[in-house]
Amino acid sequence: MTSYRLQTGGLIDRQTPVSFTFDGKRMLGFEGDSLASALLANGRQLIGRSFKYHRPRGILTAGSAEPNALMTIGRGGRTEANTRATMQELYQGLEAKSQSRWPSLEFDIGALNTLLSPFLGAGFYYKTFMWPAPLWEKLYEPFIRKAAGLGKATYEADPDTYEKCWAHCDLLIIGSGPTGIAAALTSGRSGARVILVDEHSASGGSLLSETASIGDVSASVFVQQAMDELHSLSNVQILTRTTAFGWYDGNVFGAVERVQKQVALPNVALPVERLWRIVAKKALLASGAEERPLVFGGNDIPGVMMATAMRTYLNRYGVAPGKDVAIFTTNNSGYALANDLEARGIVPVAIIDSRPDGNSAYAGKARVINGAFVSDAHGGKALSSVSIFKSGIAETIKVDALAMSGGFSPVIHLACHRGGKPIWSDEQSAFLAPNGLKGMELAGAVATTVGIAACLEDGANRAAALIEGLGFKTSPASFGTVERDIVSPAAKPVWNIPGIKGKAFVDYQNDVHREDLGIAVQEGYGHVELAKRYTTNGMATDQGKLSNVNAIGLLAQARGVSPAEVGTTTFRPFYTPVSFGALTGAYHGEHFQPVRKSPLHGWAKKNGAIFVETGLWYRSSWFTRDGETTWRESVDREVRNVRVNAGLCDVSMLGKIEICGKDAAEFLNRVYSNAFLKLPVGKARYGLMLREDGMIYDDGTTSRLSEQRFFMTTTTAYAAGVMNHLEFCAQALWPDLDVHIASSTDQWAQMAVAGPKARLILQTVVDEDISNEAFPFLGAKEVSLFGGQLHGRLLRISFSGELAFELAVPASYGESVADALMEAGRNHGIQPYGVEALSVLRIEKGHVTHNEINGTVVPADLGFGKMVSSTKGDFIGKAMVAREGLTSSERPQLVGVIPLDPNTSFRSGSHILEKNAAARLENDQGYVTSSAFSPHLRSTIGLALVKRGSERHDEEVMIWNGIRNEFTPGRLCNPVFVDPENEKLHV
Amino acid sequence: MSDFRLVSKPALSDRTPIVGKHISLEALPEGHVILVMGKPGAPAAETQPVSLSDGQPNAVRTAGPGQWLVVGDQPRTQKEIEALFTELGADIYGVDQSAGRVRILVHGTMVERVLGKGTSVDLAATSFPVGSATVTLIGHIATHMTRTDVFAFELMVLRGFAESLWDDLLEMCKEFA
Repeated sequence: MTSYRLQTGGLIDRQTPVSFTFDGKRMLGFEGDSLASALLANGRQLIGRSFKYHRPRGILTAGSAEPNALMTIGRGGRTEANTRATMQELYQGLEAKSQSRWPSLEFDIGALNTLLSPFLGAGFYYKTFMWPAPLWEKLYEPFIRKAAGLGKATYEADPDTYEKCWAHCDLLIIGSGPTGIAAALTSGRSGARVILVDEHSASGGSLLSETASIGDVSASVFVQQAMDELHSLSNVQILTRTTAFGWYDGNVFGAVERVQKQVALPNVALPVERLWRIVAKKALLASGAEERPLVFGGNDIPGVMMATAMRTYLNRYGVAPGKDVAIFTTNNSGYALANDLEARGIVPVAIIDSRPDGNSAYAGKARVINGAFVSDAHGGKALSSVSIFKSGIAETIKVDALAMSGGFSPVIHLACHRGGKPIWSDEQSAFLAPNGLKGMELAGAVATTVGIAACLEDGANRAAALIEGLGFKTSPASFGTVERDIVSPAAKPVWNIPGIKGKAFVDYQNDVHREDLGIAVQEGYGHVELAKRYTTNGMATDQGKLSNVNAIGLLAQARGVSPAEVGTTTFRPFYTPVSFGALTGAYHGEHFQPVRKSPLHGWAKKNGAIFVETGLWYRSSWFTRDGETTWRESVDREVRNVRVNAGLCDVSMLGKIEICGKDAAEFLNRVYSNAFLKLPVGKARYGLMLREDGMIYDDGTTSRLSEQRFFMTTTTAYAAGVMNHLEFCAQALWPDLDVHIASSTDQWAQMAVAGPKARLILQTVVDEDISNEAFPFLGAKEVSLFGGQLHGRLLRISFSGELAFELAVPASYGESVADALMEAGRNHGIQPYGVEALSVLRIEKGHVTHNEINGTVVPADLGFGKMVSSTKGDFIGKAMVAREGLTSSERPQLVGVIPLDPNTSFRSGSHILEKNAAARLENDQGYVTSSAFSPHLRSTIGLALVKRGSERHDEEVMIWNGIRNEFTPGRLCNPVFVDPENEKLHV
Repeated sequence: MSDFRLVSKPALSDRTPIVGKHISLEALPEGHVILVMGKPGAPAAETQPVSLSDGQPNAVRTAGPGQWLVVGDQPRTQKEIEALFTELGADIYGVDQSAGRVRILVHGTMVERVLGKGTSVDLAATSFPVGSATVTLIGHIATHMTRTDVFAFELMVLRGFAESLWDDLLEMCKEFA
């Protein structure tokens, strides 16, 4: 006989049948079933194979600790491996497949491993496959890797969405069993903000499996009434299907809500999973206790189940475990099951109680065998009998289901996530939560309270105390009398059962059996952390929820010490597995990272820009024209046009910072290595910022718009960093200075207009005279534009080496102004140019960027030695830049580099060798920091940092790319390839 | 080119507002946003920003120690802004951010749930009442957030991130729109 659905009973909706498949076979369940209960109702007890020995496995629990019933659910991109059938709600069309079997669940070739089991004990792979050594990488490891693992992830993209969100509350209650419900009612009635989370699909916890009554109503009706009240309270948020998986600093809890894991086709407007970060002033852990298995031979045969789980299937789902049911218990819990079975017409064939005195209060019909143990269960794919061992005498009885209860372990995981270690209690035969938890209290079974009435009282009292501590007035909720309450005090644990002949499993998911732990101790791996790694006990998806305490008990016995001395492994988040989707939330695909668009993005797009991501900005890389087939063609054209006519480049993404205050000039004087104190109003100056260690941090131009107002530009990459740096200087280094700093990067659309015809074009839109006399190089002023329609800022600065201006206008007008400039420049040959052309132009001119300012250079390295003021009192970097090592003549210095043959080329990053030196790093003279093809010179050109570079102009060298094995004969030269006298800048 | 008609293009001009029963999302007019900076704790700095505002509710928002944002729907000309700056006290400075910050209004009964998907700020009216303002991340984007009504929040974001924030908000609203 197998499990079956009872004619009546349970909290399922028998009017709503639900069709699903298991391994392709169609089955029927009811609304309200879990996949596990539906499988049992269909008589399906064999549901999977074990990971290592491929032993037949059945459903062991009814909750999240399930180690056996791991299934692959769904299809295509929605395929999800390792879904616990005990937690999966049944839905119409659900497709479930068993795992760890081939070719089928019934006939699994992998089961041959059972025959090899004497050779596959703990640590077998550490001791075998030692020779021949080459086979380890070629054969053994690939084979083991192929055999290992639970389930298979899909390669298809997940079509569903996920999200992350925050919640805040006065009291977070974790667990909605009797304790949690009592706590929620007490705190909810006070007006406090309460969040009640429960990992199951329905609130109620153990009450949903109870036959007791509370205040004259059944436990399930009590739950319904309580939840109705809680739902009516706007200050109470109830999150079912939500597992609190971690407790973090700041009393923040991580929880994952399975929003749409119970439907075949999710609503696209909703995520399938939602990751909550719950900030709680206080938390009450009411997570209950987990029943422990007993370690006897064959305790993994389908049909063997935890006693409380069997009770859940019986009472909540109306599923009987079998006809001939035995119960093996160490405590009173097994008797509650016996009573419920008998009430359903299934008189247990035996109750095997390890206690010599058993339970004297039991008045049922089952045969009770006190002081006895189940030493072995027998069967293959289904349970057939059990051997009972009492006082050295063995007895075998025929059964088709066996319930077991080895006592209870409080579910204290969350309480240990912030570093606290569980504490062993001999009195409770369990590990308890650490003391002194800040922000969290425990109530109910997790705090060793037993019985429904006691848990209701405990939950109410502790919640009242917590809420009152937060300033709310309340009194503990009270409840009517609890009838048929089962109070099961802690009993002496049974680690080692006498008379065992078969494999007695400790960790079902990892196929760790009793003897494995003995081997670990024998071989010196008796420490709990070592034993875990050696045997794999407590690993994988269940993280030893059922196995850890039994393993610790067995280790303790083997070592002859107390479980307290063995201790536990470290409890870390996550309590149960969390999907990558939930952790990622909405931030994937086009939402992976923010996109930052320039105010000239639209202008660039309509002019044919090809964009490139730089940081978060989308910058115009180049502008393709008809007939151009390569990017180089476009870039070469843009570069030539700037040198001959004029170009317009979007430089809006340069950092822009407004610096105001009576001491703004003094502030800049300390921030920059060169002088700024006397910068005249209406002038811009190139500045170098050093770090405290003397290295260059960033460069840029700062303009003085008025006596007390400066306008700084930074590199794009360092815009935020410089802003932070300036704030630090103002707030921490020199709080006495009157200086105020504001980022205005996004305020301005800024465009560089560069080329010999730049002034002609700009003058058509600027209302004021911008001739060389009126507005010379490094001029800076606020200007009127378009006949007074607009105001902007005009800087006469140049990155290209040409006559150039940068015009900044309010961002919303950027596109319109750029359109106007293109219109004005049409007859002057203006063309847009992108950052690629900008780079070529600046390399031709020998201007540096962060390619050269690489964090290891001082101003003198780049030829900026005169920009380090010797007369200023102090500035950042002054002391350290004078260090001996930073003034050495051997330091790398900026040079230009060109190939001897202009038809050859080289790449950035290539190293410089002396002409006839061997290609070894010890002969390294420096490296190419930037390179480009120069249309102006019709050759590749580069900038390089080379030892004593400034003394070595005209020296022939070898440019060596060691990665690509490329050698290019070249020559070092002046880094300024175009207009070294700077005549163009001043026209 | 004085005859060239310049056009001011709002950052979210190609985004369509959503109006739902429980949540609505709209881009606010690109009026004026002025950052006022004074010495933290100085009494004059506390009163000056109010004098710059157009008198509308929540026109002045805190933006950090000694800093305020003065906002309004009406654009202000360069001359008006210069005049405002002149009115400021000796130790108080203003920076025009009117084109650099974009304001988005999110409102509706589910607004706290929507924004809770992005910000770690406790948005309950008891913790963040009307008139409160703070800088926070909405997802990955830094945002200045002001509660302008029981069910209304104004999000001010750097112009370059405005479209990205809008698109993220659309996702966040989807459930309730």
